Amino acid sequence: MLEVENLTLSVGDFHLRGVSFSVKGRDYLTVIGPTGAGKSVLLEAIAGFYPLSSGRIALEGRDITREPPERREMSIVYQDYMLFPHMSVFDNIAFGLKKRRLSRGEIEREVLEIAEELHIDHLLHRKPGTLSGGEQQRVALARALIVGPKVLLMDEPFSALDTKTREELRSLVRLVIGKHGTTVIHVTHDFEDVFALAKHVAVMRDGRIVQFGTPEEVFSRPGDEFIASFVGTNLLRGRVEERSDGLTAVRVGDVILYTADEAEGEATLSLRPEEIILAREPKECSAQNVVPVEVAEMERRGQLVWLSLVSDGLSFRAVVTPNAVELLKIRPGERFYAIFKAKALRVVK
Amino acid sequence: MERLSFRKVSIGLTLFFTAFLFLAVATLFFVPSPSEVVRSLRSAELLFSLRLSLLTSVTATLLVVLFGVPIGYSLSRFEFRGKSAVKSIIDLPMAFPELVLGLALLLLFGSTPVGRAAADIGVQVAFTKLGIVVAQFFTALPFAVRVIYTTFEGISRRYELVARSLGYSELETFIRVVLPMARGGLFASTIIAFARSMGAFGAVLILAGGTYMRTETLPITLYLNLSYGNLGMAITSGIVLVLVSFAAILLFEWLEGGRKVAGS
Repeated sequence: MLEVENLTLSVGDFHLRGVSFSVKGRDYLTVIGPTGAGKSVLLEAIAGFYPLSSGRIALEGRDITREPPERREMSIVYQDYMLFPHMSVFDNIAFGLKKRRLSRGEIEREVLEIAEELHIDHLLHRKPGTLSGGEQQRVALARALIVGPKVLLMDEPFSALDTKTREELRSLVRLVIGKHGTTVIHVTHDFEDVFALAKHVAVMRDGRIVQFGTPEEVFSRPGDEFIASFVGTNLLRGRVEERSDGLTAVRVGDVILYTADEAEGEATLSLRPEEIILAREPKECSAQNVVPVEVAEMERRGQLVWLSLVSDGLSFRAVVTPNAVELLKIRPGERFYAIFKAKALRVVK
Repeated sequence: MERLSFRKVSIGLTLFFTAFLFLAVATLFFVPSPSEVVRSLRSAELLFSLRLSLLTSVTATLLVVLFGVPIGYSLSRFEFRGKSAVKSIIDLPMAFPELVLGLALLLLFGSTPVGRAAADIGVQVAFTKLGIVVAQFFTALPFAVRVIYTTFEGISRRYELVARSLGYSELETFIRVVLPMARGGLFASTIIAFARSMGAFGAVLILAGGTYMRTETLPITLYLNLSYGNLGMAITSGIVLVLVSFAAILLFEWLEGGRKVAGS
């Protein structure tokens, strides 16, 4: 639906170097990467705010590379809301509609409808400056969604909010986006956004997309060292089998894992590599998860050794000290038991 | 201890300077006798120069704002070849002696092709009332552009990007979003342009000639009468200038204050 080909441009210190990807209708793409990777510039370039040095953007098959922002049918939501301070909440939300030939009544009806969806219908007469951060961001979302954009662009939309508000807004966004069937590109540095919302993830570094895939692919099979250390955690996907004694049993591949978190149906789990201990024998211990694994690959990086471990239909990474490698004689092809606590296995979705 | 004394010295200097300034302005009001001031106020010369000053300053101010807004906006938002050179040239009259600015303008509108071309289409700048406006315009423009530029710099580009993405063109965005948000800065620049125009002396004297009852603005009335030894008239025009500037500042403070309250 949206195709980006070989996007190249420079804005001050920020660069895009041959960025290509495509998203389908109703897709939810999150873009992650370190500061200065060019994530925001990518969003603004897609919105048409910068002339490209080279490259091509097509929306629903139509080449929009040279179209000005006002003819691209994309809306943008920023971290710092960018509500027009001289207009009421109502006028902010209605702003995009006023460009269309709609009667006053129609505009009022549509504003009220979206304001109710986002629970801001009681704030319509207020000025943006008097609202809390969470309220302001909901107004910004309403303003962006009311025009029915083909693509909604969000630049770290929850970063300025406290944890609780962020959680609330995340589930509200998931609901509203789902209802409107909006295609989203969402730049974030918060992996919770990825776990909660994303269908696809693009990892950016130095103006390039270095990996593109589903969250499970990117988090459990990172393309290179940089991505591995950036994403940090393993992502496992499984099905909840049963729940007893405060533990949830999840089948991942052919292995049953136990987590202390509650879950139902399909579950996505996060397991940090440093939480995993390796042992030759499945000894008695307090950890609930003891998984027989084979070392597929190992690689020394700085003061740590990274291991790729495989089990029945399940693969993940662990990190150990060179000392442990010596002691346990860890070599590729050797068999061990990977041991980790139920608390280390977190349900993220 | 050292901090405390620095604090005391700073506050002391501030109070001393304020008192000194106040004393100087008060002298202006108390030296002449009231009857003399009233007589001067009623004189045809003073009425003429007050009216001319207000008329030319208002015209110059309108032109300054009309030109200053696009200039300030393009300096703030657009990249173009020679932008830094343009910035310094526009700022130049601020550091330039007003007299030299007047001389430069006089030469330009006098004996160059530009001046002759203007004269050919009937536009006489040198030694005319139009010359007053031109001199005031060039004196005030850099100050106004400075304020307008800073105002636009203070408005995040992202507001404009949001408006563009919602279907508004560049110009519509400027009118619907940027201008309303720049309101305070535009008021400030208007007041500054007006005050600079009212007080413009050197450039006006040289370009427009400072002719009695023809191109005589308030600062020129002050100067001419002082040189004739007509102290009452000189002081009175000084008082009127101060009052007009004061009114301008009060208006500005009032509008600024109102804006802040509304915005908070």
